[in-house]
Amino acid sequence: MKIAVLQFPGTNCEFETLVAVKAVGMEGEIFRWNRPAGELSGFDGFVIPGGFSYQDRLRAGVIASKEPVMSALKEEAGIGKPIIGICNGFQILVETGLLPGSATSCGNVDMALAQNVMVSQGKIVRRGYYCDWVNLRHEAPSKRCSGSFAIERGALLKIPIAHGEGNLVTTTPGLMKKLNDEGQVVFRYCDKNGRIINEFPFNVNGSTESIAAICNEPGNVLGMMPHPERAFFAWQLPAFDPRKQRPDEPGPGRRVFESMKRYIEVNA
Amino acid sequence: MSMNRKINLRVWLKIPDAEAATVKNTLIRRLGFGNVLDDVKKERLFSIEVDSGDPEELAKSFAKELVNENKESHIVLIDELKFEEDYVPVKVGLHIEDGEAISIRERLRSRLGFDNVVDVKKATVWKLYFNTLKPEAQIKAGEIAERLLINPHKDSYEIMI
Repeated sequence: MKIAVLQFPGTNCEFETLVAVKAVGMEGEIFRWNRPAGELSGFDGFVIPGGFSYQDRLRAGVIASKEPVMSALKEEAGIGKPIIGICNGFQILVETGLLPGSATSCGNVDMALAQNVMVSQGKIVRRGYYCDWVNLRHEAPSKRCSGSFAIERGALLKIPIAHGEGNLVTTTPGLMKKLNDEGQVVFRYCDKNGRIINEFPFNVNGSTESIAAICNEPGNVLGMMPHPERAFFAWQLPAFDPRKQRPDEPGPGRRVFESMKRYIEVNA
Repeated sequence: MSMNRKINLRVWLKIPDAEAATVKNTLIRRLGFGNVLDDVKKERLFSIEVDSGDPEELAKSFAKELVNENKESHIVLIDELKFEEDYVPVKVGLHIEDGEAISIRERLRSRLGFDNVVDVKKATVWKLYFNTLKPEAQIKAGEIAERLLINPHKDSYEIMI
């Protein structure tokens, strides 16, 4: 079971992502964007990690989305291999059209991850880059999506975010209803009790319906703004979390990588 | 009866613009515009609406706040917006709420005391230099905008000819 962790110029989370991949028992390697794209077919799954590909020039993820390696990745997605895009990886998947990736859109860009606009009580209280620990509620049924395959519906995960453009917006008619109806909304931002409160500081970037992660129609492609690799071990958790004192315990982010592994095992 | 005036600040880097270079590279190497496109440059555009005051003097004050003279140059256009003939200008702006433009308006009004500022709009103008005749260049500029320069779910564009 071999995973390619894609590296574009400006990616900066590839090494810790690779540690997470290997720590759940998968093999993995960093795959530079300028390697022959055809070599991707030798892998069982893919992670596009976070960072600032091409320095976020023009808008986050768009320049990377035009690279040949992404065309090859579309083909791999088409045959059901799992892909997880984390933060900048999510932005790249959106700009490529792999997410939300309906069967009818033929790779069109159906949504955007716009600049963060934090709203509270009808007022903009903050905008731009923001990093913090957030609570996520798993919205999809288990086994719906490769990256949350082994996570039960309603589970809460504490995972950090760090981005400037995570505000999910769309003008595609009916898209939000479709995402909700078909279980493509994978995680939402919530409070510590799992309540969805569509305002800052719970909705950390102004994202429509507090959406933090979505998958494509078949469920093999997941994009998420939070960084599970930064909450993979309990010792990575913030000081106020009691689990930090139990460093042998797994962190909540581990479940995303375990899910990917389980998805591959089941679908092999 | 007073009439609002619009102060347009066109601002560009006088050092090499890495973002414009990346856009040019992507258009030529990845999107197949190499046979028609010669160069790409970029400007920031601030359109500031005021309801009183001398627009020429206000423009100087606004430029002090919004332009870094160490690395940027600018020109001021009052109540008009025109561009040179040798490129196709494509103006790209957000059609969703523009938090940065709102912040600039609030900064000018609340922190710097320009109570006469009514509205601020911000855009990027992509200057596309083609080696084809104008009608074809305009069609290609539209293609470039839709294939790369905008994400239609948050941005809109206008070819400024």
